[in-house]
Amino acid sequence: MITALLILLGSVFILLSAIGLIRYDDLYSRMQATTKATSFGIFLILIGSSVCFHEPYVYLKALFIILFIYLTAPLGAHSVSKSDKEGRLEE
Amino acid sequence: MTESTNIILYVSLGILVISLFLVFIRMFKGPSIQDRVVALDLTASIAMGFILIYGVMKDNAIYFDIPVIIALISFIGTVAISTYLKRKEKSS
Repeated sequence: MITALLILLGSVFILLSAIGLIRYDDLYSRMQATTKATSFGIFLILIGSSVCFHEPYVYLKALFIILFIYLTAPLGAHSVSKSDKEGRLEE
Repeated sequence: MTESTNIILYVSLGILVISLFLVFIRMFKGPSIQDRVVALDLTASIAMGFILIYGVMKDNAIYFDIPVIIALISFIGTVAISTYLKRKEKSS
């Protein structure tokens, strides 16, 4: 039961980030919505499904994915925003 | 797996389908290429959620390998596209 509730909460967070992607009217606001809320939603879904299986190597893989996502989501957003800023400065 | 757990898992799959639809609207409508890159990044995360929920429904832990690969490839793709855009702006 705890698995299903965690997975439902993570899906709701991903839905909120998709609504933010479509409702905001600036590129930086959109990136803020998609970076933070999506990382937290995937985090909740991973915790829920690893609690369901309850084996050591599944916990290890979930920890690896969480670490990787929390390291690379800001890097990707920074790279995209930097390309947009240089494009605006060129005009 | 009880019946109520299964129903909640199907509801979460439906929520993910709705968010995928919204992301595709932004990907078709987006004014600049950067908006489309951000939407593509979110699509990869939604696919990771799909595969994790499917693995829970099938009760098979081997589906945990796929999100690792999707996370790696989506990060490399985002950085590659934005580096290409930067170089193109600089050279033109």
